[in-house]
Amino acid sequence: MNMFKLVPTALLLAASASAASAQSSDTAGPLPITGNVPALCSVGTLSGNGTFPLGVLIDTSTGLLRGDLSAPPQVLSAAFCTAQSTITVSATPLQSVNATGTPPGGFSRTVNYTATASGWTATAASFTTGAATNPAATQSRTTAFQGDISVAVGAFSTGGGNALRLVADPAYAGNVTVTLAATN
Amino acid sequence: MMRHFALLAVLAAAPIGVANAQDGSDQETVPISGTVAGICVLGPPSQTAVDLGQMINMSGPDAGRIAPLAAQEVTLPDSFCNFAGTHISVSADALLADDSTTVQPGFARAVNFTSTVTNWATGDATVTTAATAGGAMPTAEASGGTQPLPRIADLELTLNNFTVPSNLRLVAGAYAGSVTITLGPAAAPEGN
Repeated sequence: MNMFKLVPTALLLAASASAASAQSSDTAGPLPITGNVPALCSVGTLSGNGTFPLGVLIDTSTGLLRGDLSAPPQVLSAAFCTAQSTITVSATPLQSVNATGTPPGGFSRTVNYTATASGWTATAASFTTGAATNPAATQSRTTAFQGDISVAVGAFSTGGGNALRLVADPAYAGNVTVTLAATN
Repeated sequence: MMRHFALLAVLAAAPIGVANAQDGSDQETVPISGTVAGICVLGPPSQTAVDLGQMINMSGPDAGRIAPLAAQEVTLPDSFCNFAGTHISVSADALLADDSTTVQPGFARAVNFTSTVTNWATGDATVTTAATAGGAMPTAEASGGTQPLPRIADLELTLNNFTVPSNLRLVAGAYAGSVTITLGPAAAPEGN
């Protein structure tokens, strides 16, 4: 009889030890955490006063457009896009602000030029006022980017032809617009 | 004759048996046993996903950089372990942008954060991810203190301290990370 009782006792001890080692754990998750970042572009901060000071436009001895017109580039500092993007440059010709009537024969009130925006894409975006088309006005880049964009003007010409003289006006004005746009 | 003999034998035996039962007692013990497994169970999370929404400043000097994001709280009610010597482990994966292409200078595709699980033992389980700007090494793990007693408690998971490596601008896109909480023995049983 005692032997019969000892055997199951030993089994119970063994079973108890086995249960003690079978401590289980529990896991919650992975609990997903999500967020989003929208595409965002900024053209940054325009350095300087944001104008291209060309000064006197004509050769005062001839009345024709000066051939040496130039102005320092303007810089858009710390421009960025958080996604792939396009940069587009557009411009309006310099035109006399006050003398707005149709110029008489031999005269013009328009100065065309080419505006470029470089530093964003391998090929600078460029726009020539008065041109029939401007296929290079928009350039693309396939990655997010941040950097400075240099905006320059050059290649000035008289609207209607360089043989025309510019009508006198104390103010000729045009403007250059640079646009960054996310494309996704 | 044979029939009479058998009857007598039965009658003779019966008084002997009765006499034995009356002379003493006997008993037999039948053991009843059972086991209780050591288990830990986490309560159902109060939310099964955490959406931080839009994560960046859209204007101002910090445009494109991570905005201050509110802490997120998740409760796991009635979590328990029926044995002593348990702890909480937390494993977290930083939020990474779905765009895995190499990030350009000045940008990051990772958002790190701190995960803290409280109310289990002295010494919370807390871990902060430390993914790089490019999204490498997003996983971090840690364990809290050991609970010396069986315990039932509402566990509180807090997600906060959302940061971007070097406070770089974040590339656009959807971001995803995760947190996993484990409640179990503080040390592996011997022999395992």
